[in-house]
Amino acid sequence: MTGVKRNLALAGVAAVALAGGAAHAKDIVLKMAVPDWPPTRIMQDLANEKYKAPSGNNVKLEADFIPWPNYYERLAASLTSGEKKYQMAVSDSQWLGAFVEGGYYMKINQFIDNDPEWQEIFNDLHPNLVAAYSTYPHKSENYYGFPQMPDVLIVYYRSDVFCHEDEQKAYMEKYGKKLPCTGEEMDDVDWDQVRSFGEFFMRKKGEMLAGAPADDDFFGIAYQAGKAYDFNIMQVNAFIWQHGADIWDETKAPQGQAEGVVNSPEAVKALEHYLSLLQYMPPVVKTGTMDIFKQDELFREGKIAYMIQWIGFGESTISPATSKVHDKVAFAQHPGLRGADGKIIRWANIGGQPFVLTTWNSDEITQESLAFCKWWLSPEIQTEFAKRGGQSGRRSVYERPDYVTFRPWNRTWAPALDWQKDVWHVPDFFELLVQSQEEYDKAITGQQDAKTTMDNIAAFQQRLLTEAGLIE
Amino acid sequence: MSTLVSPALPQAPRPAPRIALWMVLGAILGALVVMVGALFLLPPAVGWWVALAGCAGAAILAVAYAWERHNYGPLLVAPALALLFLLNIFPLMWSFGLSFFAFRANRLAPPRFVGLENYVGVLSDPVVWERLQTTALAVVLTVSLQMVVGFLLALLFEKQFPGRRYLLILVLTPMMLSFVAVGAFFRYYYEPTFGLLSQFVRIFTGQPFILLDTPAGAMAGIIFADAWMWSPFVMLLVLAGLVSVPKYLYEAAEIDRASWWRRFRTITFPYIRGLLLLALLFRTIEAFKLFDVVFLLTEGGPGTSTETIAVYVYRLAFQYFRTSQSAALAYIILFIVIVLTNLYLYFVNRRAREA
Amino acid sequence: MAAQRRPIGEAGWGRTLGAGIVAFVYFFPVLWIILTAFKTYSDALAIPPVWLFTPTLENFVQVFSRSYSAGAEAVATGFDRFFFNSIFIAGSSVLIALVVGTLAAYGFSRFPLRGNDTYLFIILTTRMMPAIVVIIPIFLMFQITGLAGTYLGIILLYAVFNLPFTIWMMKSFFDELSPDVEDAARMDGSSEVRLFFKICLPQVVAGIAATAVFGLILTWNEFLFALLLTGVETRTIPVAMAQTIGGDIGVRWGLLAAIETLFLIPVIVVVFVLQNHLLRGVTFGTIKR
Repeated sequence: MTGVKRNLALAGVAAVALAGGAAHAKDIVLKMAVPDWPPTRIMQDLANEKYKAPSGNNVKLEADFIPWPNYYERLAASLTSGEKKYQMAVSDSQWLGAFVEGGYYMKINQFIDNDPEWQEIFNDLHPNLVAAYSTYPHKSENYYGFPQMPDVLIVYYRSDVFCHEDEQKAYMEKYGKKLPCTGEEMDDVDWDQVRSFGEFFMRKKGEMLAGAPADDDFFGIAYQAGKAYDFNIMQVNAFIWQHGADIWDETKAPQGQAEGVVNSPEAVKALEHYLSLLQYMPPVVKTGTMDIFKQDELFREGKIAYMIQWIGFGESTISPATSKVHDKVAFAQHPGLRGADGKIIRWANIGGQPFVLTTWNSDEITQESLAFCKWWLSPEIQTEFAKRGGQSGRRSVYERPDYVTFRPWNRTWAPALDWQKDVWHVPDFFELLVQSQEEYDKAITGQQDAKTTMDNIAAFQQRLLTEAGLIE
Repeated sequence: MSTLVSPALPQAPRPAPRIALWMVLGAILGALVVMVGALFLLPPAVGWWVALAGCAGAAILAVAYAWERHNYGPLLVAPALALLFLLNIFPLMWSFGLSFFAFRANRLAPPRFVGLENYVGVLSDPVVWERLQTTALAVVLTVSLQMVVGFLLALLFEKQFPGRRYLLILVLTPMMLSFVAVGAFFRYYYEPTFGLLSQFVRIFTGQPFILLDTPAGAMAGIIFADAWMWSPFVMLLVLAGLVSVPKYLYEAAEIDRASWWRRFRTITFPYIRGLLLLALLFRTIEAFKLFDVVFLLTEGGPGTSTETIAVYVYRLAFQYFRTSQSAALAYIILFIVIVLTNLYLYFVNRRAREA
Repeated sequence: MAAQRRPIGEAGWGRTLGAGIVAFVYFFPVLWIILTAFKTYSDALAIPPVWLFTPTLENFVQVFSRSYSAGAEAVATGFDRFFFNSIFIAGSSVLIALVVGTLAAYGFSRFPLRGNDTYLFIILTTRMMPAIVVIIPIFLMFQITGLAGTYLGIILLYAVFNLPFTIWMMKSFFDELSPDVEDAARMDGSSEVRLFFKICLPQVVAGIAATAVFGLILTWNEFLFALLLTGVETRTIPVAMAQTIGGDIGVRWGLLAAIETLFLIPVIVVVFVLQNHLLRGVTFGTIKR
């Protein structure tokens, strides 16, 4: 008994037997490391309002809100130092390998296998989300995480500009095609048309824009092209996959190579394609600092006609307090490459985060954590989360007829899940990421061409992954 | 304890010491036993405090021993050294040890002894040399700019004039800002669409001004922000030197009708030289660790043109989890800074001897 | 022999004007931050930048309580606690560093040990290591001892962080003092303790003020240790501030500026007060050379 108690105390959990009728009801606190932003704030609110542990224990979720820009360092330091402070943590999907190999994230297969309710939940989650958020090695049958806030790239565009009569007429004259206006029309847009938007909507200060002189320079398009974190690779990957090329595929390890795959002619073409559209973006793109926040800010300030952005950023775009275009924005699918058959080939890199259990908890805590996860993924709570601005990965939730009414961008959610892929989950993920970001940044800022860039990346990955035993 | 060099002091006859050396040594030995015992037998959270109490006991006895013998030197220095050892030198030694092992903090494999392999690996890595060059360039540029600007500011504020105290506070404010705010706002100032710099240039050229798109521009942007923030530091130190110049020296110079330059070279400079060097020393050490501004302004870009060695150490340690390699690299940096410091101190001492 | 330290030379209003212009230009980036604190979100990013605008206190309100998602109720952000933490932690650690460091500096200056310079050099060396490398062992130590997330832990760490600088600065001030007065006092039979408190210490008040200013500024802004070694209860402003530069939205300009503005006030006040000391120390009848 004392042994158990001491373990609990060491895990940072206060376990106090309550006097009275419920002889075994305990106060249990689940500490979770989370980034500080609305999806986790909503989760904390929901837990405070609605969570009742099925065990009868008095379980509280205590989220440690850590600012996003430093979230990774804080979590990494906590895990690797042996602090053992958190029972659960929100983790970017790419970090899975790095922290599973260290023995910090708990494998959850045994719990799923023995519990029909869990099997039902996993069968109900979109398989692309399970692959991205739960599996290590990537796409294997080893599960580690549950979706916290799933996220995909979609298109935000200015409905006032695209639907304006003058613009419609001028576009028709110039390109002999209708300028898309409704979301459905915009869904069916390929990169060539995106280029035409870029070209068409570049306006200098004072030139006419949607029936009035532009009060400042206006730009056609924007997507992420920043050096920090993963703020260019997420977009480059979409081009690579759509062009039929591939990144180094960890599911083919150790036979799969980097050299010859990563720098295949198609991949080089894909990067050239990505780079060729940068000229229609605001000048900050030339500095390699146009990250997801900067492009979002430019869009909300009304400088951009068409932007590719995470769906999770929608809330601030339609809020009058932070957006000058809050009533002039519409949403559509991520564009793709039109194939020979006229169909659009779409692939995009998935975003969002799973949350995981840590390995140092007592069985009781693990059971309580799992119960909490089950509650979080229950249809009612997922629906409530979506109503407050989150997204759900459960088919039974996002296929509800009223799901699309929760937020204007929800229309794009369900179809987009089908064309999501993820980057590497290997422990060496961060080294691969930083080097790719650097090389792409050199290309974005005009220091080297696409071929050199891809060759450099392939050579580096070949060397690193051979050292790591992932390429034979 | 016997290494003490105490100045000969004319003192009243001392009472005979009551605490003998063997008592102190015994207490230290006892404290060690208590420490080891406590750390092994008690739960860590309690054991540490018991061990600390043991240390404190031995320390108090040692202090009393020194006090009775008027050995003020060790007495005065001991608390500082103890604190430094506990929270600084010990961790430094830990990571020094680690630098001879192969260890990654995110792998389960235990540390494996590899001798000098990490050092060889780091020194033969062309990336490290590239980052060191970038850092050297940044350090030289930012520290010289800080010294010049700081010195000029100090000359401006040297004399008493109405409102000096308030204007001085304005100039001192930049170094009180947090890096987060400086990074975010300077990125905004440099930003081509909204940024103040670009807006200002645009009045004349009609074109947005993009500073950070070239390696040179990005470096200039970082240097400018860093020097802006830390020039006041140099100013304060120089000012402290300037106001300590005895007035009669200037009066004598006045009588001799010495030129401004001569007066400065022969009177003012000798007084501020020490502090100027101190400022140079501290700013160089800090500039070698240039990190926050780089990370927030350019994240090392465009490409890798502004990535400093501190950013690289950070990546090695916290992103790549090449834990022991990062320790090795850190010790190489430490070595470089120590060499630089020695050079400075050598010059300081030589000038002091000449004077 | 012992001459009055010269008062700072006088300059007139002309110098005020010149210095005023320089100070304004120098201060401008800060001024812009302060102005931004009073702007609405759209004013903060206006093109061209706005000088005249209707000031709003909304940002300052939001520092302490705001809603995190559309339509949700405003909740306390905990910033009142973070402000207290910053003040308490910086103040205590600088105080400890000053007491311990001044004593050590006096020791190094007046009672040199064998290998004095080596000690001093080692002390300086401890400040040269990139902090990131000592973080892991410190982290482990703090965990084992239960110091992680406590006030004591972070205060001790910052005190040590300030020590090298304090010792070096104070030693240089003690070294500058003329030995004549001390020798005279010793002749009169003053005890060493009295000598330190009555003769030496009053002469280096300016030095103490200057050292405190530097220590305070460095501690006030320290980020990495604070990020990793403070918990929810002991979090300081520089760490908490980062929540305004990335999340669901890029930089919340007004909010960041408001936090920074509030963050500046205490340290400016302290620096101003200590500056008076600094000036008094060099202008009033302290004895030198």
